[in-house]
Amino acid sequence: MSTEPDRGHRQLRLMLAPYLLGLVVLVLGPFVITLALAFTEYDLIRPPVWTGTGNFTELTRDPIFRTALVNSLVFAAVAVPLRLLIALALALLLHRRAMAAGPARTAAVLPAAVPEIAYGLLWLWLLNPLYGPINQVLALGGQNGLTVFGRTPPQWLTDPADARAAIILMSLFTIGETFIILLAARRSLPHDVYELAALEDATSWDVLRRITLPLIAPVLGLLLVRDVIQSLHFSFVPALVVTDGGPPPYATTYVPLFAYRTAFEYLRYGYAAAATLVMLLLTVAAVAVQWRLLRRYGRFHDR
Amino acid sequence: MPARWWRTLGAVFVLLVFVPPLVLLVSGSLTEPGQPPPPTPRLLPEPLSAAGYEHAWSLGSLGRATLNSVLVAAVAVPLSVLVAAWAGFALARSSRRLVTVVVTASLLALMAPATALLLPRFVIFRFLGLTDTLVPLIAPALLGASPLYVLVYYLAFRGLPADLYDTCRLCDLTPARTWWRFALPVVRPVTAALTALSFILTWSNFLDPLVYVYDRDLFTLPLALRSLSVLDPTNFPVFLAGAVVATLPPVIVFVLAQRWFLRSESPGRQLR
Amino acid sequence: MTDAGLVLEGVSAAYRDARVLHRLDLEVHRGELLVVLGPSGAGKSTLLRLVAGLHPVAEGRVLIQGRDVTTLRPGRRNVSMVFQSYALFPHLTALDNITFGLEVRDVSRAAARERARAAAASVGCAHLLDRRPGQLSGGERQRVALARALVREPDLFLFDEPLSNLDPELRVETRGELKALHARLGVTSVHVTHDQTEALVLADRIAVLRDGRLEQLGTPDEIWRSPATVFVARFVGSPAMNLVPAGGPVAPEGMPEALGPERLLGFRPEAVRLDPTGSGAPATVERVDVVGEDAHAYLRLADHLIVARVPASARPAPGDPAEVAVRWADVHVFDAGTGQRVPL
Repeated sequence: MSTEPDRGHRQLRLMLAPYLLGLVVLVLGPFVITLALAFTEYDLIRPPVWTGTGNFTELTRDPIFRTALVNSLVFAAVAVPLRLLIALALALLLHRRAMAAGPARTAAVLPAAVPEIAYGLLWLWLLNPLYGPINQVLALGGQNGLTVFGRTPPQWLTDPADARAAIILMSLFTIGETFIILLAARRSLPHDVYELAALEDATSWDVLRRITLPLIAPVLGLLLVRDVIQSLHFSFVPALVVTDGGPPPYATTYVPLFAYRTAFEYLRYGYAAAATLVMLLLTVAAVAVQWRLLRRYGRFHDR
Repeated sequence: MPARWWRTLGAVFVLLVFVPPLVLLVSGSLTEPGQPPPPTPRLLPEPLSAAGYEHAWSLGSLGRATLNSVLVAAVAVPLSVLVAAWAGFALARSSRRLVTVVVTASLLALMAPATALLLPRFVIFRFLGLTDTLVPLIAPALLGASPLYVLVYYLAFRGLPADLYDTCRLCDLTPARTWWRFALPVVRPVTAALTALSFILTWSNFLDPLVYVYDRDLFTLPLALRSLSVLDPTNFPVFLAGAVVATLPPVIVFVLAQRWFLRSESPGRQLR
Repeated sequence: MTDAGLVLEGVSAAYRDARVLHRLDLEVHRGELLVVLGPSGAGKSTLLRLVAGLHPVAEGRVLIQGRDVTTLRPGRRNVSMVFQSYALFPHLTALDNITFGLEVRDVSRAAARERARAAAASVGCAHLLDRRPGQLSGGERQRVALARALVREPDLFLFDEPLSNLDPELRVETRGELKALHARLGVTSVHVTHDQTEALVLADRIAVLRDGRLEQLGTPDEIWRSPATVFVARFVGSPAMNLVPAGGPVAPEGMPEALGPERLLGFRPEAVRLDPTGSGAPATVERVDVVGEDAHAYLRLADHLIVARVPASARPAPGDPAEVAVRWADVHVFDAGTGQRVPL
């Protein structure tokens, strides 16, 4: 053929080029660099020194890293299901027209539009044992700063268990995106199925269990994968700003915070890269496992 | 009681849970700094005071930070939308093989947690001599702010009727003109939504400035906020005032744009 | 050669690995309206898209008014196409839709609007120019699409089933207008359809396509009166032509020579007479469909089911015995093996 079709092709390539550049420089490159640095000792000033698997053996013996890993896993295991459950409940509750439903939808998404750092600072105050409104409310009716039941209110910033709970609590309000997607998914379900169910006089529990959930399950599955990955991310700012990785010993130090501190505070970039690599591998493993589950479900769904 | 009332009751409950934190953010920022904690919790502080805002403005040089944030957003947001819209269009008009490769790469990029990319990206920008500039804060625009937005555009453009693309070919439009004259105007709701989202994403970006920017003159609002809270972690009216300033623009943008996300029908529906 | 509006020379096309057109030869006279008729999957739309340049030519040549356009991109071929979906841009008004192709070609805005108004007036949609497609009915959209095709003043019009999305009444009306429009403009046109009535009414000539091959090319009369193959004979006409083996249950009156079972006899339902003159073949009425004034009687003759079109007022009842007679003059003879018409 002549050169004519090439003109169009060239233009399309040019339109795609900036994004491809972004993918290479900001995703692919960083991945390769992480992979390479993980086997070195690097402080940004002297050139990297090859140390083989030294970083990884050190990681397995590092009690702080082990704590961070366990913290991250526990956080994901508790926060992610709760977040999905809340988002799903809100979507099913608010997908239809009702008085106040519109403002309620907006309210449910709004915390996700608040900048992470502002959100973190807000909670730094809310959780303050002395000034914080949360503990003030909990102390209502009690005496000497105790709750009505005569118990000490939670020490959000100084007690390890309470601090972990606080980080999870913070994550439960920022479900906006998940909620929007579930809302759209619920609205895209066909009407006639529900009309049929109404003709069959099905109870709302039946409708939920046998129609809505199975139909919405693929979306729910994808959101689960996504949220597990994201959980690594949305634990970072709260831990950095609100609890500062503490209270001792490292109660809210999660893997991303561990990697951040190792790199940018202790200047051990190689070691941090190794920790990042472990984090990535965990992500990949989590995705793979969930993907298999989804596939199995999908096959079952198609038949 | 009819089902409709139950739904309203539920909605009111949702409002009661989700609204107070935001109200408290504002009311906390209006508290007079340096006061002892009030004996009982209250929604409105007594006395109301704007001193927190004054302190935040002078202590945290929020004016300068706001300017930097606006500058970054003014460059990065249009660039993000342009990159995403171009890439999505190119994918929608490209061969299946190329699409498979790029979409797979985009999905993988989406899976990488932002915190995992922080360190290696830092190494790259440091190598390029771009740390302590605003460039690394604008750079994510090359990914269309998020690969997700590229995929959204791809689906939107691919969903347009093939006959319309053929009509453009018959009229001898180049791909770029097809994009500009037909495809982009038709997916305007998608553009509106993605512009709002990429603004929120860019404006709120905290991780990147935290790592790349040390010069106080280059601080963006989130970073200035952080330094404000580090300065005096107990002086909450001051940093809450800063938080309100940082929160307002994205919240306003979101409220204005929310009809594109929360409306009952999907934007593509207008094409029959 | 120069009086040909469109020539296809040994043209083939493929979708992925599947061939959809096989070395097709076709010549459309200048100013002629050719209707390409065939069932879905016959390659009709591919043929059209290939002429427009929207689908690549695997082999062969395409010439428009003597100009070889095989390797030209669509925009350089000077053809207009009307799509089944009308393909109007939803974000533009009818006027902007019509001028779309002109402004892109750097016709001045004022001149483009002038031409658009004229084109719109000629197809009766001048009053719709300010509206967007979403505010137009199917028929109105069709007119706007037509005006957009007209305004380009192309060498060749391509119509891809433009009437199939209209309701029946409007379809008949628009069909007539299309024919009149073509007569007025005299531009070479290729019109694709699977509707035989549309083809018979509109066409100067009809090309019947089957599985990517040309089955017959001829005037509507030729297609109707002397179908070249069994396929054409069965595809055109409703109910379809009856086919029985020669020497079988039906012996046409006045058949000059005895034919063996290697020949098939074809006759249309309206050629079947049910008069009980005593000479016909005995049959049983199985089913009768009444369609207004007409009735279609399905008759069982031994292993064969044939259909007769009779006046509804004189229809037999199911289960009745009947006698079937056909005149030799109404019979088409085909080869049972190849399906080709056998000249007599």
